[in-house]
Amino acid sequence: MSQIDTSLPRAGLARSARAEARARAIYRFRQSLLSVIGLAIAVILITVALLAPWLLPYPDDVTGAVNPAVAFQPPSAAHWFGTNSVGQDIMTLVIYGSRISLLSGVTVILLALIIGGALGVIAGWVGGWIDEVIMRITDLLLTIPSLILAMAVAAALGTGIWNMIIAITITWWPTYARLVRAEVAAKKQEQFVIASRVLGVGPMRLIGRHVLPNIVTPVVVKASLDVGFAILLVASLGFVGIGVKPPTPEWGTMLAEARNYMPQYWWTAIFPGTAIFLAVLAFNLLGDGLRDVLDPRTRR
Amino acid sequence: MLWYVIRRLLLIIPTLLGLSVIVFAIARLLPGDPVGLAAGPNATPEVIASVAAEFGLDKPIPVQYWNYLTGLLQGDWGVSLFSRRPVAADLAEFVPATLELVIAALLIAVIVGIPLGLLAAIWRDGIFDYLTRTVSLGAIAMPRFFLGLLLQLAFAMALNWLPLSGRFPLIEFPPERITGFYTVDAILIGDWHALGVALQHLALPALALSLSPLATILRMMRASTIEVLQQDYILTERALGIPSWIILFKYTLRNAVSATLTVIGLYVSWLLGGTVLVETIFDWPGIGLYSTQAILGQDFMPVIGVTLVIAMIYLVTSVIVDILQAVLNPKVRLQ
Amino acid sequence: MALLDISDLHLSMRSFEGETPILKGIDLTVERGQIWGVVGETGSGKSLTGLTISRLLPNTTARYTGGQVLFDGKDVLRAGERDMRALRGGRIGMIFQDPTTNLNPSFRIGTQMVDAALHAARDKPAILGLTGRESRRARRRAAWQASVALLESFGLHDAEDRMARFPHEFSGGMRQRVLIAMAMIGQPDLLIADEPTTALDVSVQSQILRLIHRLVEERNIGVMFITHNLGVVAQLCSHVAVMYRGRIVERGPVSKVLKAPEHIYTRALMDAIPTARAQMDTLRGIDWPLRDRIEAEIAATAKEVTA
Repeated sequence: MSQIDTSLPRAGLARSARAEARARAIYRFRQSLLSVIGLAIAVILITVALLAPWLLPYPDDVTGAVNPAVAFQPPSAAHWFGTNSVGQDIMTLVIYGSRISLLSGVTVILLALIIGGALGVIAGWVGGWIDEVIMRITDLLLTIPSLILAMAVAAALGTGIWNMIIAITITWWPTYARLVRAEVAAKKQEQFVIASRVLGVGPMRLIGRHVLPNIVTPVVVKASLDVGFAILLVASLGFVGIGVKPPTPEWGTMLAEARNYMPQYWWTAIFPGTAIFLAVLAFNLLGDGLRDVLDPRTRR
Repeated sequence: MLWYVIRRLLLIIPTLLGLSVIVFAIARLLPGDPVGLAAGPNATPEVIASVAAEFGLDKPIPVQYWNYLTGLLQGDWGVSLFSRRPVAADLAEFVPATLELVIAALLIAVIVGIPLGLLAAIWRDGIFDYLTRTVSLGAIAMPRFFLGLLLQLAFAMALNWLPLSGRFPLIEFPPERITGFYTVDAILIGDWHALGVALQHLALPALALSLSPLATILRMMRASTIEVLQQDYILTERALGIPSWIILFKYTLRNAVSATLTVIGLYVSWLLGGTVLVETIFDWPGIGLYSTQAILGQDFMPVIGVTLVIAMIYLVTSVIVDILQAVLNPKVRLQ
Repeated sequence: MALLDISDLHLSMRSFEGETPILKGIDLTVERGQIWGVVGETGSGKSLTGLTISRLLPNTTARYTGGQVLFDGKDVLRAGERDMRALRGGRIGMIFQDPTTNLNPSFRIGTQMVDAALHAARDKPAILGLTGRESRRARRRAAWQASVALLESFGLHDAEDRMARFPHEFSGGMRQRVLIAMAMIGQPDLLIADEPTTALDVSVQSQILRLIHRLVEERNIGVMFITHNLGVVAQLCSHVAVMYRGRIVERGPVSKVLKAPEHIYTRALMDAIPTARAQMDTLRGIDWPLRDRIEAEIAATAKEVTA
């Protein structure tokens, strides 16, 4: 019990002043360290994705070349991540897969932000029945788990990366609409906005100059966190067999295929799985870090 | 209180109605050719037409919707294009399996996440705090299907401690159906062997599903405990000399949990979506697996049915969360 | 031996900017039966002095750099957490400013009060009429009955009924009575009241003041009443200590200090009290030229003392 007694924030005898100072220093460093790690992974991922055509060890594999002679090779000098059931180099596929994941993850969030943001501004600014209608629709869409909704829409639209992006965007815009609406509605009531309206500033100018700049922070933080989760959703769709067309390599699809070859050919699963994990983690850490930097209220 | 619950439950109906319109529209208005898929690749136009007529798909979409809705009120959830089985019967079979999995995962997340979050807040900035927070960051980023695969690799394949997949061994009969929850049924009829087998099968999928909510609950609990410990009334309680353990585990815990509860409620929807992946990995015969097959086959009656069931579970959960909230926090007035 | 004897108390608070001295040599003696008003403006250190006596400041940021705080002859600055917990509630009672935030909103009044009573009764079972050998249930019942009796005597009617209610069902004045009852249930010898009436309206304020006065008369306790309101001091207190920037610049019996203030800051404080007859243009705050003069005078007295 003594340990609990002494660590109550306002009590505490055991922990000396110096220990507290050190703890705080470590804490801050760790906080920034984690964000820096997230940033580093994200930068590496983006670089790899951009430079993919020049980085691929076996460029033919991404267009569906098969090479049964070297099927299921374990990781080696020639194939760092091993090969899959048809002898394709897994490292090549993982590198190329980063393009699909990042492209669709970022595009989904941008589209959701534009659509949701616009509807949110309209709902928050205009209010009345328009607000009511938009918000009820978001309510309804948010009661369906995003994965199931995205699956249903993507399956109906058919395979292909753009169909998948559209499907995920449909599930994602409501969260931005709600966030932006809440912020706009709150800002609309603030003195400086009311004052500007009284002075006769037009609504577009008022929104553009006074309201939007003030809601950038929460939106940016959410967007950077969400890129990670969008990548996760893309991979999930690939995993259940909906998404990009084969032979385009996609991390989730690779993992789904690898399931059939467990546990002997574990490398077919470990590398794409780790890639998804790192990508999601990177954007999560980045988002957390951005929140600490941009939003002083939540800074500890 | 009772009236409040009844009113909240009644309010679910219009939401479900609105939802059924949206889902029906998505299922029927998007491109795609369910009838062609159901009739098979070599079907003649006459066969396709007869299949369409059989399922009423030759009528205008508003009529189709009206027929669906009136059927729904009579307990008819439509018929699967493929198995030709009534959707209601399928749901009755698969929903308990999914609920068992989701509830087990939620229990793990709450039972482990809340105490760990409380401890992390008490030992704030200590080693335990760093450890749990770093691990939970990783846990939130971990794809459920990858985690499930790793768990299978470790506990089913390498160590051979737990079954790889499924809900019950194929060669054995599950406990007699009372609730549809194998664990609960096994307890009710006192079949301890079946209970053990069911729990063994439940362990890995529940674990895979629980990790992310566990991490989120932990983080939320830590933050709200820290918040509560800074309140004036904690200072007053300390000034009265009330022992620290009473302050923490009685006076702080309840307030912090009530703040965490909202997050737990929001997670139910996430868990229901997450079962799709976990059920696929573990061949768990629930609505996740069922809806995946239906979606891939554009078999839209089951899809609509599953969506409505999930929405219903989600909405009922939010009523339960609000009631619990009112129990924990007397300031919350139910109205 | 004095009930409370603070001598040359120095306290520094640490923040990310470094260590700032907050209390720079406080001397104060409180005897039983005395009500000491400690007045001063926000940031003068009066609240921190109160929290120091119960040792409720976080060890992580508060550092005592000198002096001693003798309670009943024992130095609380050198006491362990276990000893301090025995003092809190049972020997030293505290009440704080805002009755709306100082009661736990999730628990019934009775629950909170019974816990306070049970804690105090561990060292002093007699306050509940116990011998210390009773069962848990008997102790609980005694704590409950004592709480009801105390609340009744504080003017809360139907106390039995009200014990089962939650804080948000009470008015501010009633909550403050409950808080005082919780502080007094352990029958402490010293009551530290940190601006207990500031958040209340005037009529409720005078009821609370009367209650505290009655406690001193009935139980012969010592009170340290922290406030920024000289009017309240004049009504309630027997003695007053005026604090400015971490020092006590003037102290003595209320009759003497308020009638013939010696220190320039005391005079400035008294001038700043608005009277019913004051008009807008005669309302006075403490402006910067006045502050400079106060600083100069403090520096001069400090030199005298060291010389």
